[in-house]
Amino acid sequence: MATRNRTTVYRKHRDACKSARAPLSLSASDSFGGPVIEMVSGSFSRSNHSSYAPLNSYDPGPSSSDAFTIGMPPAWVDDSEEITFNIQKVRDKMNELAKAHSKALMPTFGDNKGIHREVEMLTHEITDLLRKSEKRLQMLSTRGPSEESNLRKNVQRSLATDLQNLSMELRRKQSTYLKRLQQQKEGQDEVDLEFNVNGKMSRLDEEDELGGMGFDEHQTIKLKEGQHVSAEREREIQQVLGSVNDLAQIMKDLSALVIDQGTIVDRIDYNVQNVSTSVEEGYKQLQKAERTQREGAMVKCATILLVLCLIMIVLLILKNILF
Amino acid sequence: MVLVTSVRDYINRMLQDISGMKVLILDSETVSNVSIVYSQSELLQKEVFLVEMIDSISVSKESMSHLKAVYFIRPTSDNIQKLRYQLANPRFGEYHLFFSNLLKDTQIHILADSDEQEVVQQVQEYYADFVSGDPYHFTLNMASNHLYMIPAVVDPSGLQRFSDRVVDGIAAVFLALKRRPVIRYQRTSDTAKRIAHETAKLMYQHESALFDFRRTESSPLLLVIDRRDDPVTPLLNQWTYQAMVHELIGLQDNKVDLKSIGSLPKDQQVEVVLSSEQDAFFKSNMYENFGDIGMNIKRMVDDFQQVAKSNQNIQTVEDMARFVDNYPEYKKMQGNVSKHVTLVTEMSKLVEARKLMTVSQTEQDLACNGGQGAAYEAVTDLLNNESVSDIDRLRLVMLYALRYEKENPVQLMQLFNKLASRSPKYKPGLVQFLLKQAGVEKRTGDLFGNRDLLNIARNMARGLKGVENVYTQHQPLLFQTMESITRGRLRDVDYPFVGDHFQQGRPQEVVIFMVGGTTYEESRSVALQNATNSGVRFILGGTAVLNSKRFLKDLEEAQRISRSGSHMV
Repeated sequence: MATRNRTTVYRKHRDACKSARAPLSLSASDSFGGPVIEMVSGSFSRSNHSSYAPLNSYDPGPSSSDAFTIGMPPAWVDDSEEITFNIQKVRDKMNELAKAHSKALMPTFGDNKGIHREVEMLTHEITDLLRKSEKRLQMLSTRGPSEESNLRKNVQRSLATDLQNLSMELRRKQSTYLKRLQQQKEGQDEVDLEFNVNGKMSRLDEEDELGGMGFDEHQTIKLKEGQHVSAEREREIQQVLGSVNDLAQIMKDLSALVIDQGTIVDRIDYNVQNVSTSVEEGYKQLQKAERTQREGAMVKCATILLVLCLIMIVLLILKNILF
Repeated sequence: MVLVTSVRDYINRMLQDISGMKVLILDSETVSNVSIVYSQSELLQKEVFLVEMIDSISVSKESMSHLKAVYFIRPTSDNIQKLRYQLANPRFGEYHLFFSNLLKDTQIHILADSDEQEVVQQVQEYYADFVSGDPYHFTLNMASNHLYMIPAVVDPSGLQRFSDRVVDGIAAVFLALKRRPVIRYQRTSDTAKRIAHETAKLMYQHESALFDFRRTESSPLLLVIDRRDDPVTPLLNQWTYQAMVHELIGLQDNKVDLKSIGSLPKDQQVEVVLSSEQDAFFKSNMYENFGDIGMNIKRMVDDFQQVAKSNQNIQTVEDMARFVDNYPEYKKMQGNVSKHVTLVTEMSKLVEARKLMTVSQTEQDLACNGGQGAAYEAVTDLLNNESVSDIDRLRLVMLYALRYEKENPVQLMQLFNKLASRSPKYKPGLVQFLLKQAGVEKRTGDLFGNRDLLNIARNMARGLKGVENVYTQHQPLLFQTMESITRGRLRDVDYPFVGDHFQQGRPQEVVIFMVGGTTYEESRSVALQNATNSGVRFILGGTAVLNSKRFLKDLEEAQRISRSGSHMV
């Protein structure tokens, strides 16, 4: 597909038009340069060649006051930028969470409470960030002037799509983690079965020897440890389920903001037509408001006149009574 | 696929080099070019958070200097004037100007003169000046499509505007394809001849450097033909999905407006999208006939009901999770099923109410088979039928007149009188006007297969063999033209070359531009021809996409102007 760049030709013509508009500033600089030459000539006795250099150095450049002033963006742009920043932070923390998940599911010989606590903390941080971004996203549509409402709505829609994708990804990761955690729990039950087998063998030994209280204590300790580990994993599973529910709620809220592709709402000309219709309706509403305001003013005027009449009547009565 | 991809690539290139929040500003023509190939979701991904029209942009005066404006407009005088005022009072921080066609030097001067605050960052020409919703079909969506029937002496400036717009569209297509074609035109059409010559002048003289692309093995062919050479195809009822929707309801920029159908419930959406790019069901069924569509929709509904049934069996947490994961896909499938069921239901109602199967059978007989006496009897019977609507009666008489113009003038006049008594809504003389515009002496091609000996033999053979489907047996004249091009037997006498160019061997790419508009039946013929892999790839374009209502409206407009023009003369 062919294109043609006309920017160079355009700039050439623009510069030509600008230089055609330049005589005023040229005469201004000419008049401004006069005294400078006199000062230089008066203060230093130099040749003609050296007197030109100060003139060039004092020549004022193109005026910068004509440059287009860049205004401050409205307040909601800061909100959208903060949401974008939070989305990026969520992505980084989800990478950390994936690593923590892998570490937590790895078989370890020591105590892995720290890893699980890290998983919990990261999950809570991510959920909080998503929830905070979602609340700020909801506020995005209520602030600011109405003329920018379409722009804000589109920004909201774009950010909502990103948030929804992140929520779904987090749900998927949590579901995978939960399944593997449950598999580990069943593995722990197998270990308990082994303990029972050991118990039976120990009992046989006891009958042979008619004694052995130390083994009973050992069994008790093993059982208590198993129960403790099971309870701990149960609590972790409950927490993960809770976070999955939180994410589902976030997703439900965001799905109302995301457009289905392929439908009429996703068409550019459909949205543009709606904008035109809204603008026309807004114009009609403004006309109605103007009419209402005039009527309001007339009512005010009539009220003032009524009040003045009452005051005059009162003054007239007082005058008659006094005289 | 080539034209749709070209427009998408143009838009991607516009938007990807400009960072930050953007506003896309279109005009009433480029909004169709963009909307049909690009979605709002995709624009949001490119950080385009606002789309406005250049007409309505002056209503609001608020400054948005934190946004960058991306203009994609046609370089018309009106647009240049509007843009000039907007550059003199800029609302946005930056201005990136993209024009969809060739820009004149005077227009660049005007814009440069207005840009006092130097907000314009770039001025580019991106030649996406056509509407392409199907892989091998484009259109220019021209509102005043009737002007090609007006003689040049009646409205010279109107015809000049018409020609200029067509030449611009054709130039944009070949710039998007990066080709410079050999140009042929239909001899009997003055409008086609004029367009062909002006296109050649633009490509080989005025903008010769721009069209000087790397030479390929063989030059492509541009064939400019006239709608009046085949007035039968836009008059026929259609029975394939895409063409049928356009004939019965109306398909504009791949959108179907259901507001005209009053029987829909109020909560139903009033407009639906029928796009072969986004809708897999429509892509695989758009060229299927009505019966096959019904069967395929039934299968789709059955599949959907299975999914819906499994979605109702939610008992465990895993089922809940699976449902939530699959819900967006389920919702999309539901919308799709609802859309197609609604469309086919409405079309079935219309077919039943207007007795279109009976009417269409006679139409196909008139178009494809011989026998003047039997045809006269059939048309007379349908004119007497109360269920047949006025527009269907008019079309039947038109088809009969086109076919049997010279045979039995007494019976033809009787049909005219019967039509006038049955359907007083239509002004007298529209059928005569059609014959004057597209009669047997005006046409180049062998429309009814009764001139060429080979066509006569072919029709006799087809009559003996029998027809698969009586409702879709008609082949547009374009089919014959494409066959002739494929075999290298398109006559030089009937379709002369512009200038001293000639074709060396068979072209590999052919763009056929039909002045006066194309139909979806012809678009289907082109797609099926390209599917046969004959070594020649065809692209079809036109000034509009016609159905019978649009064709008749253009005829009425042309007749009205011709009548007033003759009074003036």
